[in-house]
Order: sequence, then C-alpha cells, then structure tokens
Amino acid sequence: MKRNPFLYYGQKALTFLMSVLVLSLVVFYVARLAPGDPLVSYYGERAEKMSVEERAWAEEKLGLRDPIYVQYVRWLSGALHGQFGRSFKYKADVLEVIGGRAGNTLILGGIGFLLIFGLSLLLGVFCAWFEDRLPDRALCRVGTAVSCIPEFWLALVLILLFAVSLRLLPSSGAYSVGKADDWGDRALHLVLPMAVVVIDHLWYYAYMIRNKLLEEVRADYVLLARSKGMGKRQVLFRHCLRNILPSYLSIMAISVPHILGGTYIIETVFSYPGLGTLSYESARYHDYNLLMVLSMLSGVIVILCSILAQILNEQLDPRMRSPQAPGAGEEGGHG
Amino acid sequence: MAALLEVKNLSVSFDTAAGEVQAVRDVSFSLSGGEVLAIVGESGCGKSVLCRSIMKLLPDNARMKSGQILLDGADVTGYRERDMRRLRGRMFSMIFQDPMTSLNPTLPIGRQIGEAVLVHQPKLKRAAVRRRVLELMELVGIEDPEARYSLYPHNFSGGMRQRSVMAIALAANPRLLFADEPTTALDVTIQAQILDLLRDIQQKLGTAAVLVSHDLGVVARAADRVAVMYAGKIVETGTVEEIFYHPRHPYTWGLMRSLPAFARDGQPLYTIPGMPPALVDPPRGDAFASRNEYALAIDYEEMPPLFRITDTHYAATWLLDPRAPAVTPPVGGEPDV
Amino acid sequence: MSDALLSIQHLTHCFRLGKKQVLRAVDDVSFDVRPGEIFGLVGESGSGKSTIARCVMNICQPSEGKIFFDGIDVCSPKERRAHRKLLQTKRQIIFQDSSSSLNQRMTVADIIAEPMSIHHITPKRGSCRAEAEFQLHYVGMDPSYLDRYPAELSGGMRQRVAIARALSMEPALLVADEPIASLDVSIQAQIINLFKHLQEEHGFTFLFIAHDLAVVRYLCDRAAVLYHGKIVEIAPTKELFSNPLHPYTQALLSAIPIPDPRRERARPLRVYTPGPVTGQLAEASPGHLVLREEEPG
Repeated sequence: MKRNPFLYYGQKALTFLMSVLVLSLVVFYVARLAPGDPLVSYYGERAEKMSVEERAWAEEKLGLRDPIYVQYVRWLSGALHGQFGRSFKYKADVLEVIGGRAGNTLILGGIGFLLIFGLSLLLGVFCAWFEDRLPDRALCRVGTAVSCIPEFWLALVLILLFAVSLRLLPSSGAYSVGKADDWGDRALHLVLPMAVVVIDHLWYYAYMIRNKLLEEVRADYVLLARSKGMGKRQVLFRHCLRNILPSYLSIMAISVPHILGGTYIIETVFSYPGLGTLSYESARYHDYNLLMVLSMLSGVIVILCSILAQILNEQLDPRMRSPQAPGAGEEGGHG
Repeated sequence: MAALLEVKNLSVSFDTAAGEVQAVRDVSFSLSGGEVLAIVGESGCGKSVLCRSIMKLLPDNARMKSGQILLDGADVTGYRERDMRRLRGRMFSMIFQDPMTSLNPTLPIGRQIGEAVLVHQPKLKRAAVRRRVLELMELVGIEDPEARYSLYPHNFSGGMRQRSVMAIALAANPRLLFADEPTTALDVTIQAQILDLLRDIQQKLGTAAVLVSHDLGVVARAADRVAVMYAGKIVETGTVEEIFYHPRHPYTWGLMRSLPAFARDGQPLYTIPGMPPALVDPPRGDAFASRNEYALAIDYEEMPPLFRITDTHYAATWLLDPRAPAVTPPVGGEPDV
Repeated sequence: MSDALLSIQHLTHCFRLGKKQVLRAVDDVSFDVRPGEIFGLVGESGSGKSTIARCVMNICQPSEGKIFFDGIDVCSPKERRAHRKLLQTKRQIIFQDSSSSLNQRMTVADIIAEPMSIHHITPKRGSCRAEAEFQLHYVGMDPSYLDRYPAELSGGMRQRVAIARALSMEPALLVADEPIASLDVSIQAQIINLFKHLQEEHGFTFLFIAHDLAVVRYLCDRAAVLYHGKIVEIAPTKELFSNPLHPYTQALLSAIPIPDPRRERARPLRVYTPGPVTGQLAEASPGHLVLREEEPG
C-alpha cells in the first residue's frame, strides 16, 4: 500500500486551504451580522453625535456601505496581497497592531502547551502505573481539587506569594521597563503566568491519559505480551502508550485554542501584553479588520494542528489509513 | 514419567465489593510433558482463572490462598514477578480466545512475533530475529510469510490471526502452552484447522498443553485427558475416552445431554435445571447438588471426595460411594466405529 | 408467494469502503419464510447473515431488492409510513449480546413494558406491570425478577428478558440474530427449548440466524446456507443435512465438531477452496435449491 507522497500532502494542503477559506467567509459574515455600530470604534463618542450625512460619508470611507459579498471580495483580495486593512480603533495597520503582542501570546501559549503536553503524559503514565495505590489516589484527589481552582484566583494567590511576600518574581508585564531585549528578564516575567496556564489545564489531560491507559492495560494483547515474558513496564511503554497516542494527539490538537484562549484571563491579571485583550476589544468595538486577522490566526493554528495530528495518527495507527474491507486481503490458511 | 506441571490444592480468590469470590477451590492436577489436558466447564467455573493463576497473570485483587505449583519439580509458588518473567514465554505461554483483541492493532505482525523472540534473546541480530520470525510463521502455517511479515492484524482473517498468536506463544519454545478457548471466536471451518495445527505442533515440538474449552467437540478432537470443572472445583477427571464413553459425574452427564448432537428427533433438549451457585458464598456440600436429579441427602451436607474409578479416572460424586444406590448413566457407552 | 409471511426478493446490500471499493455484503438473496416455521440462516462471519436481519428490520436500507412482510414492501418509505405501527410491533428482533442490547439502567419490568408505552398499547392484563409479569412467566422466569437490573441476571436470563420484551408486542415474526452464541452449553439448551416451545405451542415464526449447525439441524424447519453474501443452498433442514449438494455446504457440514473422540478424530477435514460464487439457484428436488454455475452457452 504505497502512496504517492506528493498526492498525499497535496491533498492535505488543499484541505487546509479550503478550511481556511470557509472559516474566513463565516467569520466575515457573522461579525457583520452582529448588532452594534462599527463607527464607534473609529470615531469614539463622536460617532453618536454625527449627522446622517456625516455617517454616510464615514461609512463610505470605511467601505461599510457595499453589500457584504463585495466587502468580502475586497477583503480577500487585499488579504491575498498581504493587506489586511487598518484597525478602526488603533488607526494603524492591523499587522502592526498585532505584531508585538502575537509573539508574547504565542510564547506563553506555545510553551505552556508543550509543557502541558509533556507533563500530562508523565503524570498520566505515573498514575496508571500506580493504579489505585497510594500515589495514584493521592494525585487524583489533589489534581481534581487543583483543576477546580479558578484561574484568576490562583493567579492572584501566586502574585501575592511570589511577587508581594517573597519578592522573587515580577507581578506584571512582559518585561521590566527598559529591558525589552533582555531575555532573562522576559523569562522571569513568564514564570508566573506560565505556572497558572499549566496548573490549570494539566490535570484535565493527565487524567484523560491515565484513564485511557488503564483501559488499554486491560486489553487481551497486554496479557499476551506479558505471557511471552515482557515486563509490565515494557508493555506499558511499548504497546499501551503507543496505542493511546492517536486519540491523545487529536484531543491535544483540538485543545490548542482552549489553552490559547485560557491565556486571556491570565494576560489580564498579569497585565501581560498579549492577544487576549486585543481579541476581546476587537469583537466588542466591531473593529472588523482586526477581528478578522485574529480569528484567522487562531483558526489557522487549529486547522494546522489538527491536520498535523491526523498525519501523525496515520503514521501511528495503520487502521486509520485507508478503509479496508473487513478481511480484505485475507486468504485462507493452508489446506 | 515425571510431571511437568503439578498443581496441589490450589485455591484462588478475588476480593470484590460483594465479598470474597472463591474462583478456584482446592484444585489438584498434574500434567506430563507432551500431554494435552482439556479443562471443560461453563463460564465462571474458574477454568481461565486456573490457567492465569499458574502463570501469575491475575489482576491485583486476586489472591492465591493456598496450594502449591510445581514446574518440572521446582516449587514456583513463591516466585516473584522477576522470576516469573523469566519463566513466561520460555517455560509456558498462552493463547487466548479472541485473536483480534490479543494482538496489538497498531504494530505489524512480524514485529509482534519478533518482540517475543527478542524478549528472551535480547542480543540477537536483526537479521537473525527476522529469520526466526519467518521460521515461526512457517511453522504455524502462515503461507508466504515474507509478504505477510509487515502486515497488520486487521489485514488478517480470524484464522490467520490465531496462527500469529500461536507463533508468538511458541517463539521461545515453551514446554507448556495454555490455550484459553482458542477456537471459540473462529468459524467452524477454521476451528478444526487450528485444533489440528495445535495438535501437530504439540507433537512436533513435544509441547504439553492445557486446553480450556466449553465445547465438547473441541475437547474430543484435541485432548488426551479431560478435567471437568464446576463451581471452582474439578468434579471429574480422566482420559478423553473415559470421560466421553464412561462418564460418572452427573454434571458431566448433564453437559453432554444438553448438546443438540445427542438429542433424539422430536424430543426437547435435556437441560440442567437451575443455575451455577454464586462463588461468593458457595454451598456447604456438593455445589452441584441443587441441580442434580441424582442428588443424595449427603450431597447437601458434605463435599464428596474424588473417588477413584481407574488409575486415571476420578470423579467427585457420592454416587460412587459403595453405600450409594446404583444409577445407570444416561449417556456414554462405546460407539460402534 | 402469497403464503409467505416474509418474502425477500433479490436483496442486495453494499457497504462503501472507500472511494472505489464496494463490499457486496448481501448479493441477490431471495427466500421466503412461511408462517409458523423456523427458518435458519447459516453462514460464517462475514457471510452477510446479520445484514439480512438488519434489512428485514429496516435498520439498514438495502441497495437493491425488495422485502415484503405480510404483503407490505418494507423498503418503500411510503408503505413503511402507512403501516408504521404494524411493522414496528409485528416484527421483533433479538440480538446476540443481551448484555449490551438491554439498557443497563432499566429494570426488567421497564424493559418489557417499554414497547407498549411507545406504541400506546393498552395492556391486556390491566397494567403494564401485570403484562410484564405475564411475559416473564411466559419465557419461564420468576416474577421476582421484575425489579432487577440486567447486570444482576445471568446471560441466559438476560436473553429470556430480551425474548419477553420481543414477545410483549405479540409479533408475527421474530428475528433472532445469533441469540444463543454467547451462552453456555446448558443454558443454550434452555433457550433452544424455549424457541421450539414458542413455535410449536404458540405458532410463532422465526428467522433464526446462527453459525452453529448442530443447533440449526435441531431447531429449524428449513435453512439457507450463505457464503460471501450469496445463498448457495436452501432446503428443508433434514434434506440439507442428509443430502448437501453444494461443495460449500458439504465442507460446512463436515466441519461440525462431534462430541465423541473416536469419531471426531476420524472425521476428515474437507476444505472448500473458495472460487468465485456465481450462477443461479436451481431446483435439485422440490424445495431444495442449489447454486449452480451457469453452463456456458
């Protein structure tokens, strides 16, 4: 069953492009259907005092008078040339507005995601190994309790403890004044927000791994593997872990926006200059161009991750490749 | 001949929320090299637990309460996991009922067999492992092993999967093979092939086998000796001919008479009344007494010992006591071949 | 054809596996089930026997062909709507695995009475509970089980509850999809006797699907042998077992294990080398049809 890699990846790329296109269309329409006045974001309070003629002129200037599909085509052709328009609120090019902040959020969310991914695997395997014995039971209780703590509260407690009482870590911002290029300083600022991101999501995924592993450990093939003389650890790592990875990867792929989105509250509490506040404001003030780019950004990340997860899954689990007839390719044994 | 496996007074219990489930109760048997012993019984009678407790592959809530397991004369009762691992695969291994679930769906067949080879010879070179795997695949009758080496379990039919499981089980030349309902999940036309293969290999390699089954047809084809289990105890044991032609225990009679193959035209099938007892709190006397139409008063009071009928044939029923009334078995008798 | 309760004509069901692969799970199958008989459908796994049962019960929509139940074309959506109630009450199915086909969170009484409440049928015996009690008694179980949950029952008892549930609608046709395959030998015998009793004393009609030939021989009046979605032979059971004509049937019959060591070991293994199954059913003797290769020219 050799496939043409060119065709295979071409197909995946096509899926990606189609998904992104559909996403942009939906976001574009939905944003404009929502009630509210986009002029407010551009003119602030002045918008309310405008006369009818002034409004018409302003809408004409911002291109809001054309039918939606014309606006969409205009946006799309601009986007294809790398022109995403100006932000109504910040009155600057959208990419410029996002520029500095996207990096901050991606670092916080991305590293947080990787940490959650790795640590939850470790924790899940650890619990499964000690199934129903003391370490497992204790972790299950603690984990469930911790994951119930609200993010903002945990953030405040950590600030109180490490920033106010112990004065070990900075309490807000992405870097100290005048130290924008000091990576050590940036890392120091990351510690607390990152801790909140990880602590808040970690158990959810670790618990899932634990349960999936325990399901897998009860399968017959584990018994067969052990009856051929393999140890419990070998079976757990070489067989069970491999078999739960596909479903874990897909769930992690879907959870990317969840974890990225979770950074919003954290960014607010820590006054961390990221995309969180920006997305909220752009939606609230009908800053269409900014909203589009932000939605597209997270959409592209999600679609990319799920396609990546799918490719990985197909490598790991042969059953996911092409559908096969039940028993196709079988021939009777010897006569 | 010295016994390869000797089990003495083995009792195994499970601790559950409902209480202690006595899955295996005071079971003794022995097996010589190259012999096939079939353990027959209905689901829940403890036959699978018996096999798994010998290999020490029981879940954590199981407990070996008493008894002794001798392998080749060595007492392995107190062996720890590390020692058992060295025995598993080389001394004994196992095949299961459902070949679909007993293979890892995400690894190629060749690799899974190779893993079994490598466990006991970790220093073997890659090419040598591959050679050995192909040899094993050939042995269990997988045609064109080269082409099938890198196929996955879902590419195989049920019979082929069971052959692959057998190759895995045989990888380290075990002296004893536990086959737990090896043909139950297979189609009738494949069943006999797999049984004959088991028999062939067993004779070729001199492997002894414990065949667990509920199907008397399977037992008739492959076994040398038979042990009938009921409610965690062996109630009758003998050579295959003794069990099929001269059964002495009422439960064995019941099992045979409920087969459609023994039914006379137009007559309803014989059924054993009632249900097996719960093993949480087994009855005091003979566990089968309440379902036994031949039960004597003493059956409800005292557990019958194994009465000797011949040197190989034993049955645990008070009907064999000299004081018991004579009963004509409703089944059995030599066939006219 | 008017005397048939269930008439299946040229039934074909295909599963799409991929863009190009199509599996013909059932391929041009035709047979009739007459009122009051137990009709056996025999085949190995993957022969399409369960798919036929599903088509009969409208769980699957066949790709081609027609199924008439009591003269109603169950595959036509129009006729199905017109006779919805009759179709849903007069056909009932019993599945193989009663541990998963019965809702674990319903009591036995609820399970048996549920079809009545769905179809707003006034229970004949006063209350739903009385009706459930009657049905339970009918299949040989004590009324004390009414308030138990399926998990508390043994496999044989659960299967009886499944049968009682099916009988509560007083169906004309019972489709039994491997109803005894997951049961122990001694329990199998009880269920087989129950089926036989229901047929002989109460005139139920069964479509009995099985892979165990010894059971089919004992229980069924007529039987069809399926191979790769096609019927290769169809005959009264006695005739089928004493005079099998198609090589696949012969191979299948020779594979029945005999619980007798000397005869079992002497039994030769016949292997059916699967060739393409083509051709038409032809009558070998009255009521006995065999798939014959079409003669060239």
